[in-house]
Order: sequence, then C-alpha cells, then structure tokens
Amino acid sequence: MPSVDQASEAMTAKGARGHGEVIISFENLSLSFGSKLILDNINLDVARGEFLCVIGPSGCGKTTMLRLLAGLLTPSAGQILYQGLPVSGPRPDVAVLFQDYVKALLPWRTVFGNVSLALEAAQVPRKLRRDKIMAHLELVGLADHAEKYPTQLSGGMQQRLQIARCLAQDPEVLLMDEPFGALDAMTRQALQDEMQELASVSGCTIFFVTHDLEEAVYLGDRVIGLLPHPGRVGREFEVNISRPRDQLTTPEKPEFLQLRHELYSFIKLVEHG
Amino acid sequence: MDLKQTIVDRPSHINWRALVLPILVILGLEIGGHVLPLETEFWPVPSQIATAGWAALLNGSLLNATLETLTAATLGLLLGGSVGLAGGITLGLFPVANKLLTFSIEAVRPIPPTAIIPVALLVLGAGMTMEVSIVAFSAAWPILIFTRSAIQSVEPRLIEVSKVLCLGFFSRVWKIVLPAALPRIFVALRLAVAIALVVCVTVEVTANPIGLGYGMRVAQQALRPDLMFAYLVWIGVVGWSLNLLLTSLQKLLVWRQADEGR
Amino acid sequence: MYMLHRFERPLWFLGSVLVALGFIGIWQIVASSGLVSNVFLPGPDRTFRALLAGLESGVLTGKFFSTVQHMFYGWFIASLIGISLGAIIGTSRMAQVYVAPSLELLRPLPASALVPVAIAFLGLSTSMVLFIIGFGALWPMLLSTIHGFTSVEPRLNEVSRILRLTKMQYIFKIALPNAMPDILAGMRLSLTVALILAVVGEMLSGQDGLGQWILASGRMFRSPDLFAGVILLGALGYMSATLLTWFEQWVLRWRNEG
Repeated sequence: MPSVDQASEAMTAKGARGHGEVIISFENLSLSFGSKLILDNINLDVARGEFLCVIGPSGCGKTTMLRLLAGLLTPSAGQILYQGLPVSGPRPDVAVLFQDYVKALLPWRTVFGNVSLALEAAQVPRKLRRDKIMAHLELVGLADHAEKYPTQLSGGMQQRLQIARCLAQDPEVLLMDEPFGALDAMTRQALQDEMQELASVSGCTIFFVTHDLEEAVYLGDRVIGLLPHPGRVGREFEVNISRPRDQLTTPEKPEFLQLRHELYSFIKLVEHG
Repeated sequence: MDLKQTIVDRPSHINWRALVLPILVILGLEIGGHVLPLETEFWPVPSQIATAGWAALLNGSLLNATLETLTAATLGLLLGGSVGLAGGITLGLFPVANKLLTFSIEAVRPIPPTAIIPVALLVLGAGMTMEVSIVAFSAAWPILIFTRSAIQSVEPRLIEVSKVLCLGFFSRVWKIVLPAALPRIFVALRLAVAIALVVCVTVEVTANPIGLGYGMRVAQQALRPDLMFAYLVWIGVVGWSLNLLLTSLQKLLVWRQADEGR
Repeated sequence: MYMLHRFERPLWFLGSVLVALGFIGIWQIVASSGLVSNVFLPGPDRTFRALLAGLESGVLTGKFFSTVQHMFYGWFIASLIGISLGAIIGTSRMAQVYVAPSLELLRPLPASALVPVAIAFLGLSTSMVLFIIGFGALWPMLLSTIHGFTSVEPRLNEVSRILRLTKMQYIFKIALPNAMPDILAGMRLSLTVALILAVVGEMLSGQDGLGQWILASGRMFRSPDLFAGVILLGALGYMSATLLTWFEQWVLRWRNEG
C-alpha cells in the first residue's frame, strides 16, 4: 500500500485535473436486442482521471453500458469514442473488474499465475514478468499469498487478486461492474478505501457501476443516475466532497447526507413511477 | 458455445446441417467405390451394404440375431441390475456393511468383464446362460456403485424429516430414500443398458455362437463384407435407438419429478 | 474417545481386509468340500500356487507385460487423437455444427462390433489388437475433451476477450486447463475400455497376453491357471486406475488444495 501522504498528494492533483480533457464520450448511443430497446440515446462525457459512478434500478442497462464501453458489445446506433476514436472491441489499456470474481479468475492458476495472464496476453517477456507481478500483488496486499490458488482465498482477497490482474494491464481506464456487491460489509469498506487510493495513485479513469447509493457518493467525483425501460441518463450529481474521504467522517458530512438524500429520492421516484 | 448439437433435437424436428457430413460420407463411399479400381468383394459400397442388410432383414436372420442379443442383454440386465440395486441399497443404508465390504469390492471390481468370458465358458459352456451371466457381472457394478452413492447423498434433511415423522424403516426407504435417489439411479441404469449391449456383442464376437456379434463373425469368415458391414450399421442403429429411448425415458422421469414438485 | 477416533480409519480398513480373507476362506471350504467340481472351481490354494509358479517361471510375467503394452499403446494413441481432435472440434463452431452430431451417432456403436471388420482388414495381428483398443478408447476421450472445451465459463471467455488473448493463447491458457478435469475423466474411462478390449483382442488374435492365456487355459481345463490370469487382470485394472488417480491428483492439485 502506498503511504497516506503520497495518496493524499496525488488526490489533490487529481482534484485539479478532475474535469480536464474528455477521454470517453458516448454519442447518441442506443442498443437493442431484437425489437427490445435496452439503451436509448445516451450522451455522456467522461474526463480523464475522473471517478464516475453509475447507479440505477435493475433493468436500466448500467452493466450493458459498461459492456459496450469494454467493447464486449456493439451498439445498434451511435458510438462510443475513446480518446477520439470509436470503440470497436476490447483494448489493452481498458481493464474490466467483474463482480463475480469466482468465475473471472482461473482456478487452476496460482495468485501469481492469475496476474501473470494479463502480462502474457500483452506479450511481456518472461524475465520481466516476475517483478511486475510481485509489485502488483504488493499493491493489493497479496504478496504473501502468491503461491496459493484462488479457492484458498477469501472473497475479499479474490477480488483484490482480480484488481491486481486489472492493474497488470497498466490500464488507462478501469471499468468496474458492481465489484464489491458480493462482499460482506467490512471487506467492502476496506476495498472501497483501497480502491480510492489505487485510483489516485494510478491516475486511472474509473467507470464504476453500482446499485449501492452510498458507495457511489463515497467513491465518485460524479454520479450518473439512469432511468429504466429503456435505459437512459436521468440525472447527473456532482460530488463536491473533499478527498481523501474516510469511512468514519465522510458519511457524516452534510454534503454527503444531502447527496445521499437526493439520490435516494431519485431512485424512489424512478421505482414508483 | 453451450448449444448441444444433435441430429434430432426435438421430435419432428431434424437438424439438417448435422446430416450433411453423414450424407457426404455415404455418397463419397458410393461414388468412390464405383470410380476407383477397388475389389468390391473387399470394399463394399453403401448400396451393396444396404442390399445385403435388406436381404438379411427379409429372411429374418437379422431380426432373429437381434432378438437373441437383446434377450441376453435384458436378462443379464435384470439379473445384474437387481443384484446391483439390492447391494447398492444395502451398502448405502448401512455404513458398517459398506465399510466392511470396501476391500472385497475394490478387489473384484477392477476385473475386466471380458476376463470372465473363459470362466463362464468353462463353467456354463457356450450359450445364452453364459452370456447372461457375463452381462449381469458387468452391469451389476455401475448400478451398485451409483445406487450406493445416490443413497449416501440423499439430503440429510429428508432423513431427519422421516425420523421426525416417525416413519418405520421400510416406509422410510420406500417413501423417502428411494424416490430421492431415483434420478441418479436412473443415470446408472442408462449406463448399464449401454454396457449390456456392448458386452453382449463382445461376448458374441469373441466366443458365443448366438446373436448379432456372431452374425458379424460368420459374415466376415464367409467373406461377405457387405453383410458384415450391414450388421455393423444395424448394431449401431440398435445402440442408438436404445440410447434415444432411455434418454427420453429419463427426461420423462425428471419432468415428472419437476412437475410433482410444483 | 480421541484414540478411538484416530484409529478409526485403519481399523475399518483392517476389518474390511479380514472380511475379504473370510470370503477367500469360504471359497477354500467350498472348493475343498467338493460341492463344486475342481475342474470348474480351483481353491485359492491351487490358484495362488498357479499364480506363483507362473510368475516365477516368467510365463505369466511375460503375458502380463504384453497385455500392459497392448493396453498402453492403444490407449496412448487414442488419447493423442482424442484430445487433439476434441480440441479442434471444441474450439470450432463449424465443427460443432457439422461434425459433432455425427460423433453422437457413432458413439453408441460397441467397439467390439468393429472386431470382425478389423480382422477382415488387418488379420489376426498386433495392429488389429491396437486398432480395436484405440477405437474403443477414442470415444470417451474425444467426447469428454469436446465437453471440456465447450464448457468454459462464459465470464472467462469475456476475460480472454478483454485481455485480447490470441486463439493459441486461449486454447493453451484457458480452454485446455479448463478441459483437464473432463479429459482426465475421459482418460480414466478409456483406460478401463482399453483393458477390456485388450483382453478381447488377445483372445481373438491369439497375440501373446493374458487374454490369450486365460482363453487357452479355460479350453484346456487348467482352471488354476485361468483363475491366476483373471486375478492378474484384476490387479492390472486396479494398478492402472491407481496410477491414473495419482496423475490426476497431481495435475488437478489446484482442486485439492484449500
């Protein structure tokens, strides 16, 4: 783990950079499966280095948006621009963190081997891999478990391992699909804080899908609220809460409570028509 | 990638793309047999095989042999199946018996069924009885092993329920344990049917002068490759139909259980 | 109580060995009492004497290793073909649509039904024996490999796409390790089939081996020799299965830990 000082310095820098150059933009994006419209005319810009959270009730297409951004799906109309060019498939500098870490890890490879997969995919020579892998494992606190198999790890550790594999891609953008949804409350909070630090140190742009309103406010620079059937952008919420944030005091701040209230009303309104 | 492709995926629905390869192979063999300078006495073309098969079907020899093979398979299956089922239920219900017999079972089970052929020949001589006994020996094992593990893995909560309801031993077995283990026992039965057919044909080909396997041997020795291949195709058809029959039965069974569950 | 718990497993094992010895005792009594003719049922004493004599003179040892050879070569060829063909079919959409159903059609065909065909074309030779073993052992390998290759967790396919693995990387880093449990299950089944068919092949072809030995012994009413051969075949089945279990535990060690 990087020291808190380093992290807070980086975060100040990030705050300054927050709304700079646009790295991703959704342009009139629509997606339908057959005759069913899933996403309807999405327009959204994401700034380089931004921590963007996407919330919405189930069926609003937030995961679909992420999959389009990852290049796993192709839009029916409109396009997504990544650094000015249309997304046409998965890219080496865009990493995805899945919620179901159990399925997304290779059970037959050790912790070390799982991180190695990303480097092998990037054709990193064998000699250079070891140090890089250990550095990433160090970063997520798994260096002592390098020779274990995923099944020997707790859920939180498995998700940390997936984070390490994503970081090994040396990504510009990190797409996270409800990454902490399957974890218990304590582990979730710990990982939220680690994610905060990793985000600031790496300077990654983060697209974070969640259904947990407090998590969205706690982590995000900005929160996008989606409307369902078909999925479209409902409201944007700027999160003007100073960083670093912490689990104890941040949720007690009036700004936090205010935003939480607004998001909650938004979701209630959506769900009850 | 999870789509399982079969030729008949639903009754009345045939997957035509699946038939492309078999049809091409048959046409290729037919045309190749006529064009290439091969001796057709050695390399019969599909039409000759079909003719030979049709003739054997009409004169009754094919059906007679089929009847013999299926009789041996059925009797052997009944005998071996009931022994295996009884043994499996006993071992599954009584852990003490199971633990005490482990060594004996593990010592006898690895004997390949075909190694029993000379023993059965010596003791029983050639004929139906000998074939039935070998089929029974082969089919009993999978049924015993599957039934045992099916009963051992009956949901413990169900056993507790039966105890709370104060069911007697026999009604507990009949009403709770066996129905719960039935789907897996059926899987074993399907396996055993396949084994029974294979063992019958093997015994007939190797040593016993009855049934389809022997018919093939005779055709081969009489230098009638057309008839030999006709028998081969027919054996395939019999095996395939048995498999289809049991798959549908199994689906029916699972469906009924699911239906009753509602 | 603690001591009892600790010795429970060895004690049960000892008990089950004693029960097995009891069965051998019954066998001896039945054989000695003359209830069943000695021609058909030699007692354990005569059987073990025949077994020892055969092993000492090297006759049975030779037959044993011939059978091991037949079985192993046939099985090995089948494994090579089965795994590579299975990998090709398992990773190709075309092959799954056009080829896989035909395999389903051939699967229920008993391998022994090919014996007369093999004899017609290859004669009573070693190649005939190997062909029969190879053909029979091929199906379990092939079908389980296809299953293993097509049952990759969809999420892992996505991970492969995200990481932009090449087709070769996908096959060797994802699909093959994923298929390993299935492949090993197929290997286990085909090893059993290989032994069964090795016996058949040797009986029919007269090629040297335990199959030929037991058939000849039976025909000459040398029942102790016959039983000795059957026992050796059982031992061979047991040993090969045990070896494969060790291999399996080593290959799939990621499954056993934790």
